[in-house]
Amino acid sequence: MLPTGNCTFRATGIVKPSERERVSLVDALMSATKGRTSSFTRNVLSASSSQTPGIKCGPNGTFFVSSGISDLDKILGGGIPLGSLVMVMEDAEAPHHMLLLRNFMSQGLVQDQPLLYASPSKDPRGFLGTLPCPSSKDDKLRNHDPEQEKGLRIAWQYKKYFGENQQSFDGHRGSKQEFCNDFDLRKPLERHFFSGQRVDCVSVKDSPNLVALQDRCTTFLAQFRRNDGSISSVGRIAIQSLCAPQCTHSNMEWDVLSFISYLKSMLWSANAVAVVTFPPSLLSESFCKRWQHMADILLSVRAILDDDKELAKLLTGYQDMVGFLNVHKVARTNTQVPLILEATTFSIKLQKRRFLVLECLNQAPIDGSSGASYGTSGSCSGSSKTGTLEF
Amino acid sequence: MQNLKDFTANFPNDLQSLKLGFLLQTQRSPSSQNSPSIMAESICRTLRDGSLEGEHAPALTLTIKDTAASPFGFDVFAYVLSQLSSFILEGKSQSRSVQLQFIRHSFLPETAPFNIGSSLSDAERPMNSTVCYRIQILDCYTDPLGWKGKLVESGNAMCISDEASSVTHLCKDVRDLDNLYSLILELGKGLAGQGKAHFSVAIDSVNEMLRHASLSRVAGLLSNLRSHDQISCIYWLLHSDLHEVRVTSSVEYMSSMVANVEPLNPSASGQRWDSENVSLLKQNFQKGKLNVRFKRRNGRVRLMCEEFHIEQSGINFTPVSSEDGTINQGLLPKVQFSLQLSEKEQTERAKVVLPFEHQGNGKPMQIYDGRRSLEDNKNEATLASTGNLQRNEASGEGEIIYFRDSDDERPDSDEDPDDDLDI
Repeated sequence: MLPTGNCTFRATGIVKPSERERVSLVDALMSATKGRTSSFTRNVLSASSSQTPGIKCGPNGTFFVSSGISDLDKILGGGIPLGSLVMVMEDAEAPHHMLLLRNFMSQGLVQDQPLLYASPSKDPRGFLGTLPCPSSKDDKLRNHDPEQEKGLRIAWQYKKYFGENQQSFDGHRGSKQEFCNDFDLRKPLERHFFSGQRVDCVSVKDSPNLVALQDRCTTFLAQFRRNDGSISSVGRIAIQSLCAPQCTHSNMEWDVLSFISYLKSMLWSANAVAVVTFPPSLLSESFCKRWQHMADILLSVRAILDDDKELAKLLTGYQDMVGFLNVHKVARTNTQVPLILEATTFSIKLQKRRFLVLECLNQAPIDGSSGASYGTSGSCSGSSKTGTLEF
Repeated sequence: MQNLKDFTANFPNDLQSLKLGFLLQTQRSPSSQNSPSIMAESICRTLRDGSLEGEHAPALTLTIKDTAASPFGFDVFAYVLSQLSSFILEGKSQSRSVQLQFIRHSFLPETAPFNIGSSLSDAERPMNSTVCYRIQILDCYTDPLGWKGKLVESGNAMCISDEASSVTHLCKDVRDLDNLYSLILELGKGLAGQGKAHFSVAIDSVNEMLRHASLSRVAGLLSNLRSHDQISCIYWLLHSDLHEVRVTSSVEYMSSMVANVEPLNPSASGQRWDSENVSLLKQNFQKGKLNVRFKRRNGRVRLMCEEFHIEQSGINFTPVSSEDGTINQGLLPKVQFSLQLSEKEQTERAKVVLPFEHQGNGKPMQIYDGRRSLEDNKNEATLASTGNLQRNEASGEGEIIYFRDSDDERPDSDEDPDDDLDI
């Protein structure tokens, strides 16, 4: 117990504080905080979240950044925690990892978060032209009402809840940017978002090793050092197809591993997140495993066959699916309680070919654990953000 | 299909398309009815359509893979080349010309794999300076490492009569992939002329390139070609058993379509030479299966399968005769219940008599209590009605021994009130 005014701190007493936790302990001591919600939680500066849009306060003193896909944020328990490394295992037959990367990058740009993008192509800047633009809310909401009137009449007063959310959207639109936008994959992002200094592009193709990339990451992350108090800005790193066959470093396995561990250590002490995609089918087994262990959040995407009769019989909504997303690992910082997901396989669908949604698989009626509530209630309510519509 | 004379008539300036003529003629001689195959045609059509405009999408690429068990990759390659060339000549394709780089097989008229040599030399004509060629050939076969050139320089050999044709360019060092890349581009741009015209690239064998350079260099070259704006499609042949799996999968990673040439009976290869094996082997050397995986733009993978026959006149594709059903691989998500029944389980399921099933054989209704077969029930019927100890003599597995609470209770009657139902 400390004598300073309205700042009380109850020790967790369980975990030996690491470097980062020590820093935030000091934060809590030095600054004024709001009241605690429960015991055994650390007091943190929650005021910073309202100042910087795009950062959400999470449990146990973590801050979340959005991944750009609202369904994925929900699956990961709120978003990507600051300082974590997300690995996406690619499928050689499908470009779904690009969808994830694009949403991630656009989200950062829309919220004014600097971005470092590295790719094995000669001209990474060209990729920025394919980033999606956030869709305007009006389109989505307005479209759903008339659709619902036509078909099914639902004898339940869901509309009054729907109306509430609409109001809340309108009310907040002016004051605060959203944590996670819906991106329209058919509309390209406006140029002014990625012109200028905000985006740094690196091509790893012709460089003989990863030293150059490492240096760029170091200088980039130096801007976001974690220090006392407020989080002024958050950075995002997106590395596409590390270890692609056309890069020279794809033969240098240990160098790549040391680069990843270096990146991870830099991220720990920075207010940034990184998303790295890599093709596991082109790497050796042991190397691949090591890589997977280094990830804080591990996702993998898989292609699906076209016209697969068996799969069509087994799953509903097969026609709209473009692939599968598997969640292998979810980061949990500052806590020893793991996150146990109800389902780890999700289907990637493009609604109206524009909006990316992730849905739980609705399998044959036998399997009851696939948690059909998220996906289906999402589609009938029109906006999958609302928790109140779950049955 | 046009024969050689028609070619010269229609395209008098298109001298070098004659070199392609040899391929076309062999594929489509009027004697053999070459029924167009659906799938191979669709590959060619997809390649013909090329990459989308304005996208940062790379060019379409096709990998043709074969193994020693079914070594017909080259025939498929030649087929694709001829198809695409005919599309180009008809003006239907996005690319206006083909750049053929051959390194393993020779496409020069004297040593061409098909018996055309003499008719080609007849058809040679003087060239116009403003001619727009449809094909350029990059010859990496004659002197890949520059040895012959060195011999000539050092005076040890006579000068090679270089046929200085402006469409065949000799490459003297296949190890220098940067140079190769710029050569390809130069020739291609020369073909296409000024402006945004596209061309396509055909590489005869990636294995040879991998022999001379490392995987990352070759992959770098291929991906550079892919991302070049003026190239609309690329296709190459790879013999997959000559390299490690990693190499093959890296090449496949970079292609948008993979065509696998496989033997019809995979078990026949690599076994002893029994009489039946020999006939199967013979079959493998005449026919085969072509499995194609298309990576579509929306991220789904389409599988198609066709059979082909090799004949004197070329390669013929036919749709698959037998339903394989093994095309769909186990991409089902992990379910905690097994949803499939094995054969044994299926027959046993058919044998199970449901409890209220109408037995329809004139005997009194017997309710199957799940413990014994119906025949044994006859003997037990009397016992059952009195409700005493019931024993199962047929199977010695489990028993239910029922002790009545008291003797006053009315005996359990197996007379179900629903007995009169006829289900």
